[in-house]
Formats: sequence, C-alpha cells, structure tokens
Amino acid sequence: MKPARFDYARPVDLAAATAALMDAGANGAAKPIAGGQSLGPMLNLRLARPSRLVDVARLPDLRRVEEGAGGVLFGAAITHAEFEDGAVPDPTPGFLPRIAHGIAYRAVRNRGTIGGSLAHADPAADWPTTLAALGARVHLAGPAGRREMPVEAFILGAFETALAPGEIITGVFIPRCAAGARFGYRKSCRKLGEFAEAMCAVLSDRARGVHRLVVGATEARPLVVTEAAGLIADPAGIDDLLCRAGLGGDPATFRLRRAVIGDAIAALARETTPESLTPSMKSVAP
Amino acid sequence: MKPVRLEINGRSIDTEVEPRQSLADFVREELLLTGTHLGCEHGVCGACTVLVDGAPARSCIAYPVALDGARITTIEGLAQDEVAGELRAAFTREHALQCGFCTPGMLIMARDIVLRRPGLDEAAIRHELAGNLCRCTGYTGIVRAIRAVALARAGEASVVTRGASLPMPADPSPLTLPVSPARRASGESPAPLVAPPPAGLEFEPAPLRNPVEITEAFEVDAPRGAVWALFQDPARVIACLPGARLTQPSDGRRLQAQMSVKLGPMQAAFSGVGLIAPEPASWSGILHGRGVDGRSASRIEARLAYRLEATGEKATRVHIEVAYVLQGPLAQMSRGAIARDLAARLTSAFAANLGAALKGQATPVAAMPLDAGSLFLAMVRGWLARLFGRG
Repeated sequence: MKPARFDYARPVDLAAATAALMDAGANGAAKPIAGGQSLGPMLNLRLARPSRLVDVARLPDLRRVEEGAGGVLFGAAITHAEFEDGAVPDPTPGFLPRIAHGIAYRAVRNRGTIGGSLAHADPAADWPTTLAALGARVHLAGPAGRREMPVEAFILGAFETALAPGEIITGVFIPRCAAGARFGYRKSCRKLGEFAEAMCAVLSDRARGVHRLVVGATEARPLVVTEAAGLIADPAGIDDLLCRAGLGGDPATFRLRRAVIGDAIAALARETTPESLTPSMKSVAP
Repeated sequence: MKPVRLEINGRSIDTEVEPRQSLADFVREELLLTGTHLGCEHGVCGACTVLVDGAPARSCIAYPVALDGARITTIEGLAQDEVAGELRAAFTREHALQCGFCTPGMLIMARDIVLRRPGLDEAAIRHELAGNLCRCTGYTGIVRAIRAVALARAGEASVVTRGASLPMPADPSPLTLPVSPARRASGESPAPLVAPPPAGLEFEPAPLRNPVEITEAFEVDAPRGAVWALFQDPARVIACLPGARLTQPSDGRRLQAQMSVKLGPMQAAFSGVGLIAPEPASWSGILHGRGVDGRSASRIEARLAYRLEATGEKATRVHIEVAYVLQGPLAQMSRGAIARDLAARLTSAFAANLGAALKGQATPVAAMPLDAGSLFLAMVRGWLARLFGRG
C-alpha cells in the first residue's frame, strides 16, 4: 500500500511554512503534517492525496511550552506521550496525563500531537472534546497573521475546522484549573484504543465557578454546555439536552450516549486514576 | 527524491528517499531488515512497530523523509538487548507465538512496557498491548510472558524510553547492508576522500553513499618509486584487477575499462570510466571508477585509495582502501555477506597481482574473468574456516 506521490517540505519557521502551504497551488493541495498518525493511514489508503506535505513537527514555535499564571500555552507539536509522561507542565490537577494515556496506543501517542488531533477534528478523538471542556483556546498563524479562538468555535464539524488556507495551529492555551477541580471523562469504544462511539467530558471547577460539559463523538461538532452546573447537579436533564441537539434519533445510540454522559458526571464524585479508565466498556455495561 | 540521514540500529545511513516511502518499506526493501513485519499498513495492527528515538512507533505510517536525524531500532537491533533477551526467553517458555507474524511488534512493544512501567499487572499489560494484534495465540501466552518479565523487574525504576539511545548491536543481521569492521567500531563514517579533479574530467567523483569498504595492506619488495610508477600506469593497474581490462588506451589520467564479475548464476560485465588522481606529495592517490552492467542495468561506483609507505630501501608497504556502491537489480540479488566477500577477494587478488607485477611476474588472474569456480570455493573455504575458528 503506497500513498500517491507527494512532495515534502520541512520549513524552518512559521513564515516559510505558510509560504510552503500557499505556493503549492490555489487548490489547497498542500497539507501540514506533524505526527502523521491520522494523516498517515489516510495517505496509505489514498483517501488523502495532497500534492505536498509541509512538515511542521519541528517548528520551534510549535514545540514551545509557555507557562503563565492564567494557564499554559502548549505548542501544537507536543505529543500525547509527552503529556502522558508529565514531560510538560500541567495547568490541571492531573487531567492531561490521564486523558493522554487513553488516546489510541502508546506507539501512536509517541508521535501524534495535540495540534494535529485538533486540526484533524475527528469527532471521536479525545483532545477536541477534552479541550472544549477545559475551555482551551486554539492559536493559529497564517497568511493573514495570528489569531486565536475557543476550541468549540474552531471545530466546525466532522473533520472541518476554521483553518483558513495556509493557516496552521501553533498552539493550544489551557486555562489553569483550581487544585480542587474535578474532571469526569468517559468514552465507549468497541475495542480499547479505537475511536469512541460515545464520549463525554465534564469539568467542575467550583473555585473558579466553571462548570462545562462536552459531548463528543457526535459525528458533527461537539455539543458544548458552558453552564453545566445544573446538569451536573441533576443529570435527568441529559435526555432533554440530547434531544434538543438532534441526537435523539437512534434509540440505541441515544441510550449509549446517555449512559456515557451519566457516567462522566458520576465520575466527578470519585477521583479517577489512569488505570480505572481502562475498562471503558464497563462504564456502559447495561 | 529527498536526502535523509538516519541512524538504523546504530549505523548512520545517508540516502535519498521518495517522500511517500514508509519507514517499514525502507528498512525491509532498502536495508533488507525484514524482521519488521507489515500487516495492515495503516497503523492498526502494530506488527510493524519499531523504535524511533527509543520509543515505539508504527513504521508503516512513518516516513523516512520526515525522520531525518532520527535513530531507528528494528527488532534486529535488539539482538543483544538485555530486556529483549528476557522477553524472548519468556515468549518461548509461555508459548507466546505461533505463526510469528506479530512477534517482532509484540517484542518491541513488550520491551517498552516492562521498561516504562515495571511491575504492571495483567489488566494494565493488556491495556498497554491493545495496539498489537495477534490472530493465533489469543494473547494469553503473550500477556503471561510479559507479566513474568514485568514481575521480575518489579523493583526497578521506570525508564523513560522516549528519546533514549540504544547501543549498536555487536553483531548486526547478516541481511543488513555490509559494513566494514572499521565503521562498525566507531559508528562514524570516515571523511570522504575526494581528490582535486584534474582538467578534462569526464565525471565528477562524488562522495559514495554508504559504501562497502575494504582495507588491505601488504608489503612488496620494491622501492617506493617503482611502486608509485606502477600506480601511475592505468594499463598496469587495471591488469592487476581480476576480470578487468582497458577498452581504450589511457592518457594516464582517464581510462575506459570493462570488468566481468561472475558469482554463481549471476554475472555482470561493467563498462565504465575511471579517473586517476595522484597526490605525489603524500605518496598517495585515488582511482575513481563508475560503470554500468548493460544486461541488468546495475550500476557500480567505486573508489580505490592507495598510500605508499617506504619501509626500507627496497621495501614498500602498500595501504589500499576500496569502497564501492552497487545499485540496481544486482545489488538486490547479491547484497550482504556474499557481495562483501567477493569484493574482499577482489581486493586481495589485486594486492597479490600487484606484488607479482612489481616482481616482474605474470599476473595470471588478470587475464580471465573472475569466474565462480576457484574464487567461490575460496570464499566458502574462508567462511568455513571462520566458522570453525581455523585457518
């Protein structure tokens, strides 16, 4: 299995990356690549046929980590394994390593990046849902300069983002959580490490007054509830939430989602370790 | 094609790659490191797992073009690794493989698991191993084997495998590209020998990429001046090379020659051009050569560097370094120990013929092509001698 022929460029800085993406033709045939853990399979299956790959994995801008009082700006090319191993600072009380640990498999985590996951915008991926729940902001750079936006505004739909032609994700800013913040995360996968069929992330940070709930794996943009205190206190509102979002159609999927959301909310009450995430099927057992 | 430099199992490889070539195809097809297995070819089954900068990665969705400067370790590179050895023993003990297709990936992943998270229990091992598929064993034996090694290492500190460097294996797979002992020891490629090209050059000798290198030194009973004179005479130098002959009279700098090589069912007749670049100040020089075999479209580029050292009034020590790169179908068929041995024999024969020529004797081997018969026999004898520690 061979990808269709493509050209490869590894620019040294952001400006060169933008130029390399733009001059490959107006038809948008150039694609940025970082870890290549989603794009690679698509290339091999010839589902994606870019005329040029622009390697952004080593751009200094995308490898930096800037820690501030309000949070941490992670370069887009920080890998899942670096989050998992605690090789980068964590503005949350342990949420990031926990989520990273549950992404695909270690061999994938060693190469896959947080920015790549966002840019790919697979609805069933872990970072888009998690980062939306944490209230993270995406930093972009392109021909028109730099801009930033909340994750939920960045992801427009399944595999669709707000990225303009020639634009790349430079980083993700994750606000600092209070030490007592809680994070409930559940996903249901047919097989460990596979893409989820239902997922939910809930942040409850009472000290900051932030309560957010995000339903992922919706086959569209994630469903984000920014004022979720009421829902957390009374999960009976889940049915209504799903129906209003147009996710009430298929009864089986509806019940699966309801169970996963309920579990994620319930998980807020008990601290979870990475290993307790392991039997993801268990959380949706009837 | 894009130039890349990779370190594969401790050896530095300079080459050019097609951007779309996967790392798995590169190690299997270019380096004949076929221990890396390809299953699904889209990052699902884990059979192709290798170490990139110490950490497991899927080689079917990694591209060498993007891995410039990376250190790659395939299953062959873990031959002497202590943990891999423990795992191999445990896999054998616990019947952790049947057909063996998933095993290289399983071992590489298992090694990472027991190093990174020593003492893991069965459930966690299954979690960590979820990205490697096995269709034979039902995983029970595999998990049991890994558990045994993890348990034995329970007290050990966790190792950060990400970014770790592995030592070069002492004995690389016989299927890897041949490499001279001198290079194996240091792991550094020697500075390329490039002579200043004289006028009227027909080709620009470029540094050879990952050549096979052979060094030889021998004593001849002749004054240094006489040996030097021989090296400046293309006709006499070529006559010392088994199977080679000049096809055109040489002007003393450039030469056109043909060389026949036979090895078992394979034979080739390389026609090409050569260039003699002497450096009288240091009693040394370089012969560059380049040829094509018309039949197989195989190409060869070679360099013979010589240095003459006066060891007495009528005695000279000749140091020879031969480096060559063979490309094309012939290289695919004859890569490995056989090609290397053949080249070593050629070098020895060249040295012997040179000594004979200086003594004024005939050079019988030079007249005939390098036929399989005696040469092949000599090679086999040489192998056997080495195998049993005799000779």
